[in-house]
Formats: sequence, C-alpha cells, structure tokens
Amino acid sequence: MTRTAITNARLLCPAGNIDTIGTLVIEDGMILSVGKAATNADQTIDANGLCLAPGLIDLRVKTGEPGSEQKETLATASRSALAGGVTSMVVMPDTNPVIDDVALVQFIANRGRETARTRVYPAGALTKGLAGDAMAEIGMMRGSGAVFFTNGDMPVENASMLRRTMGYAASCDAIVSSRANDHALGQSGVMNAGAVAARMGLGGLPREAEWIGLSRDLLLAEATGCTLLVDQVSTARSIEMIKSARDRGVKAYVSVAAHHLFFNELDVGDYLTYCKVNPPFRTENDRQALIEALADGEIDAVVSAHDPQPPEEKRLPFGEAAFGAAGLETVLSALLALVQDDRLSLLDALRPVTSSPAHIIGQPQGRLAEGAPADFILFDPEKPWLCERENLVSRSLNSPFDGRRMVGRVMQTYVGGEQVFSR
Amino acid sequence: MAIPGYSYEFSHDHLLSIEDLSRLDIEHILDLSEEFAEATRAGRRPEPHLKNMTVINLFFENSTRTMSSFEIAAKRLGADVIAMPVAQSSVKKGETLIDTAMTLNAMAPDAIVIRHSASGGVKLLSRKVDCAVINAGDGTHQHPTQGLLDTLTIRRAKGRIEGLKVTICGDILHSRVARSTTLALHLLGAEVTLCGPATLMPSGTETWGAARAMNDFDAAIKGADVVMMLRLQLERMNGAYLPSQREYFRNFGLTQERLKTAAPDAIVMHPGPMNRGVEIESAVADGDRSVITEQVEMGVAVREAVLKLLAGRRV
Repeated sequence: MTRTAITNARLLCPAGNIDTIGTLVIEDGMILSVGKAATNADQTIDANGLCLAPGLIDLRVKTGEPGSEQKETLATASRSALAGGVTSMVVMPDTNPVIDDVALVQFIANRGRETARTRVYPAGALTKGLAGDAMAEIGMMRGSGAVFFTNGDMPVENASMLRRTMGYAASCDAIVSSRANDHALGQSGVMNAGAVAARMGLGGLPREAEWIGLSRDLLLAEATGCTLLVDQVSTARSIEMIKSARDRGVKAYVSVAAHHLFFNELDVGDYLTYCKVNPPFRTENDRQALIEALADGEIDAVVSAHDPQPPEEKRLPFGEAAFGAAGLETVLSALLALVQDDRLSLLDALRPVTSSPAHIIGQPQGRLAEGAPADFILFDPEKPWLCERENLVSRSLNSPFDGRRMVGRVMQTYVGGEQVFSR
Repeated sequence: MAIPGYSYEFSHDHLLSIEDLSRLDIEHILDLSEEFAEATRAGRRPEPHLKNMTVINLFFENSTRTMSSFEIAAKRLGADVIAMPVAQSSVKKGETLIDTAMTLNAMAPDAIVIRHSASGGVKLLSRKVDCAVINAGDGTHQHPTQGLLDTLTIRRAKGRIEGLKVTICGDILHSRVARSTTLALHLLGAEVTLCGPATLMPSGTETWGAARAMNDFDAAIKGADVVMMLRLQLERMNGAYLPSQREYFRNFGLTQERLKTAAPDAIVMHPGPMNRGVEIESAVADGDRSVITEQVEMGVAVREAVLKLLAGRRV
C-alpha cells in the first residue's frame, strides 16, 4: 500500500461544497483524506496550485465498439477521455450488435476493463435491437451492471410500447433515458428549422419535434412512476416543460451536451459538417436559456455526446454527412469558458460532470470524500489553448471546436489513484 | 455601370451564390451579358476569350436546358467543353464528392460548372479545386446564373430594376431559383413578393430580401410589374403538401383573368420547364406578355459573361 499526498492543490468538490487550498491523500486507489496535511506519505506530488477536482463522469459516449471500430474503440475513446479529464464514461447501446442482453452488457464491461484506462459503464438498450417493438431484458441487464436504459438516437416511436417499457423499468428501479424527439416532424431535417436553414436550402429539425417528444415522455414517466433521464435537451421551452413536470412530482433528470452551451445555429456557417449534430444547434436564445438553466441547477448532467465520425462520413455535402461530433476532450473547456464569462462558478461548472452524474448512475466516485475512489484531475482553469482537430486524441477527428481558442486544460488525470494521463 | 472615380474589377474566384455578389458585381455581369446578347442577335461571334481553355460540365442531376446553355456559352467563347457522365461514374460507386473534385482538379480544367442535389455541395467542391467553380444549382440553395438571367430579362423588358414590383409564386420552399432571383432583384432595388401555399412557404424569407410573403395569390399579383411562376414538382401533389392539381391551379395558377389585376404592362416569367395547366395557363405562357423564351436566350448570354469573368481572369 502506497500512501500518496497531492499537496498545494486548489481542492474543488461540488458534492462537499469544497473550494480550498490543501492536500489530497490517497491510498490503495481510494481517497484517504481531503484538505488535511499528510501524515506518513510515501510519496508527495506538488500540484503547484493547480485545481484538483473529481474526474469527470460522462453519461453519453458512443465508441463504435463493437461493430464500427473504424470510428472509435473503447480503448481510443478512453485515451481521448483521459485527455479531457473524463474518468468514467457511460457507453451507448446502439452498436452492432446492439447491447440488448446480459452477455453484451458483460462484454462491454469486460472489454472496458481490459482495454480502457477509464471506468466504462454500459447503458442497455430499452428495446430489443432498438427496433422499438419488444422490451429488452431490462432487469437482467441492470443486474449485470447496465446503469440505465435507452433507445439511443432512435426514441421508441410507439407510445404504448414506451409506456409498458417505462412501467417495467420503474418496477426494476431502472432509469430510462430518452432523446425527446418526434420522428415524423424531423424526418428530413439536418439543422435547426428556421430562417437560417431555409436560406441555406437545408431541411429543418423543428423545435416542436423536441417539445412533442418531451411532452410525451414526461407524461408517460408521470403515469408509470419511471425515473426519466431527458437526454440532451436543446431548447429554452424544453427547460420550462421539465420544470413544470418536476413541480408535478415527475422524477426527471436532464442532460445537455457541452457543445450546445457553446454553439448556435449560425455556427453551421458555410455548411460546416463538424457542426452537424442531433439535436442540432438551436438559436442563440435557446443557448442562453440552457446556460441559465445550468447556472440555476435545473440541468443535472453535461455530457460530451461523443459521437465520432470518420472523414468519409463527414467530408460530404452537409445534407449527406453523418450527425455527430467528437466531444470527450472539450467538455471541461466548454464549461470553463462559461466560468471565464462569469456565467457559472467553478463548483457549479463541475457539478454536472462530477457529483450529479455519479448520483444518477449510483456510483461512489465523482466526489472528493474519504473512502471514495481516487479518480481525480489536476487542471489549470485559465490555460489558453487552440483546439486543432489534428491534435485531438480521438480516432475520428470531427470536432465543432476545431480552430477555436479554448481556455482551461486538464494537466493530469488519475483513475483509482493511478496517474493515467499527463500533459 | 462604372461609378466615376472608382475603378472596378470583378474579383471573385467562383460563382457560388448571389449572396457573394455586390450590387456592382451584378450590374457588371448584366452589362457584359447584354453585350453578348446583342452580339448574338446581330449574328456576330464573340471574341474567343476562352480559347485553349477547358470547361467541365459536371451535372449530378439531370438537366437539359441549363447544361446545354452552359455548353453553348462556353463553346461560343472558344472553350473545349467536357460533359462528365456522372451517372455512370465512380461517384455512384461510393466515391465522395471531395474525391471527385480532387480527381477532376488533377486534370487541370479552367472552370467546372456543377449541379448537385445537396445544398452546399458546390461550395464543398470549390474548396478542393484550383479552377473557377460555377454553381449551376445546388439542392434547394442557389442557382445564381438563373437569378442573373431573370434579372437581366426584367431589366431589358422594363429598362430598370429599381422600384419594380415583382411577384414570385409557387413552391418557394424547394426553389433555388426563388432564393437566387429574390436576392439579386432585392440588391438592385426591386420589391419582391413571394407567394405560395403555406406548406411550400419557408420561414425567414425576409433574409433573402423578400419584402412580403403571402399565401393569397390574388392579393400578391395586384399591381405587379413582373409575375414569375415557379415550376411545381408534381410529386408534391400526392396529398403531402397539396390536395390536388385542380385545387392548386384554382388558387395559384396564373390565368389571363388573374393577369389583368397585375400592372397593365406586366411581364410573365417562368424558369421552365413549365407544367401547363398546373401553374400557368397555356394562353398566358404563349401570350404577348410572356418573356419566357427571352429568359432562355439571356441564359446563354449571362453564362458567357460569367465564364469570361471567372475563367478569363485566370489567364
């Protein structure tokens, strides 16, 4: 057993409301003490005044493994994650094959342990093959470690099926995560519906599609008592709808993708396919509302929505290019930009990527507390850097942040007390 | 039209969208087009501005008029014109547009005229080639030479653009012609009214320079100096966008009766090909107010001007 003291750090922990200069002592992969001076440390690391916070927990990562390893594998995604300070990632079930039974849940968990340096948690499919017509083995997958259940980018179309699935999930104490979307309304859309899309001659993804889908999901969660994780909310009105549902007693968590806090529909510019994501970047009013909701604590999790696409899927005309962006390496910087702009405190910026997602998936990390796993990062909140896709670690290099000046950078990442990344 | 005290040079590498052009650019293209049109009418061959140059016509969508128009224009200026049989090419076998662009670029053409079904597709290609790129229609985005030829036709018929009331009616939502022509006319000072059924009218048309957007054709046509009808894709008649051809024609078809409410000397335009009896009555299409054939004629002149300005400036 080695006892290590990380001294001279600005300790930040939203869960314990800690923001102090001090020492973190770790032993055997766990946190031994927070803030107190070390006694009998075998090893001392001087943090040189860097911020020390819990490692980030990302509730929405797509890796392509199994089935599309050319996009990304658990191993390459974890390298990208560690560079961005993400120490735990939940991987989506829409792979090939779909993660819809116990063996596949275990495959992801095992493969994660074998090849990834981050902690890897599988999300299970809500319906078999994501086809939306037969319930997957939610209870058994939950027993095998699936942290929540989702149909990924293909929300269950049939409301009756969703109702039954939610009711069953509630009885298993399982969380259902759903992308709020009405299929038919956004069928041919590729960017936010509105004047910009019309002028560019592009099909629109209307905000009404999100509202109608959300309203259905919230009503069914209310009717069944299911805990709902609203996946990647993108509009101002959605926030109001969730608030009102929560007031009625609906158990709803909500996530937002980090890039939605940074970009609006105008960033699509000259048909920039790196900015083609789903849900699409909305209006500036929507973006501002999402930031306000985050500051007000209305948003539980900020996710990377990491969905890397190889060049052959992105080097196409906008309408034909794939949706999705690499995001693991830019989550923290996107949040720190809001801290720089005085929109968020440092603790409020960290909460939706540490303690709050840890609470949602019921894991002990995501906090600096005695007995918690020693998953943490050292970062410089003011370090400027230029995001260049060539320098990203992800296997696919499509980032909407490409060419942007960012602020705040992860310098070291630790998982289970072991240093797994250093810059 | 030169402004005293200012020297003007056409400085664009490509023609991708009317949005990229200034008023001065447009007037310059129209003036030059007019010279070409007059030369043709007088039976004169223009100077071989594109002699020893190669123009590639790369049409990913079927088109007879636009492709022939560009071909005639390029040949009149002395260029070698290569039509790429895209339908049989490797593009259909999974080659990306960028790969196609790089392959063509390696053959060192002087200009590529491209039509593509995806909005923004032509812009994407233009970033990867060294030669001039001319957008001959990209998805539902832009068709700049159509916007210019419409503007030229109107200017010749009316002697001006400034202050004219132009009504464009039809499937505005899917029309790259509406987007290009509205912008060009707006830049030159016309007041453009867009009209069509609610299902075929996009939001935010004011950002293209439209003064008004309406669903009532009778109100939209009143006092108009120019009435431009757009082609209706008949597949939109299957109940998804519109109930029937009959109902469309009743509400939005241009008849002689309706034309009477426009200005007494109003002209009638259509980018073609026309659906007679769907968006326009034959008597109107063939009537003395129609300048539809002149639009085709001006198309060649505008394309000569654009090719000369873009390929010619590379000499």
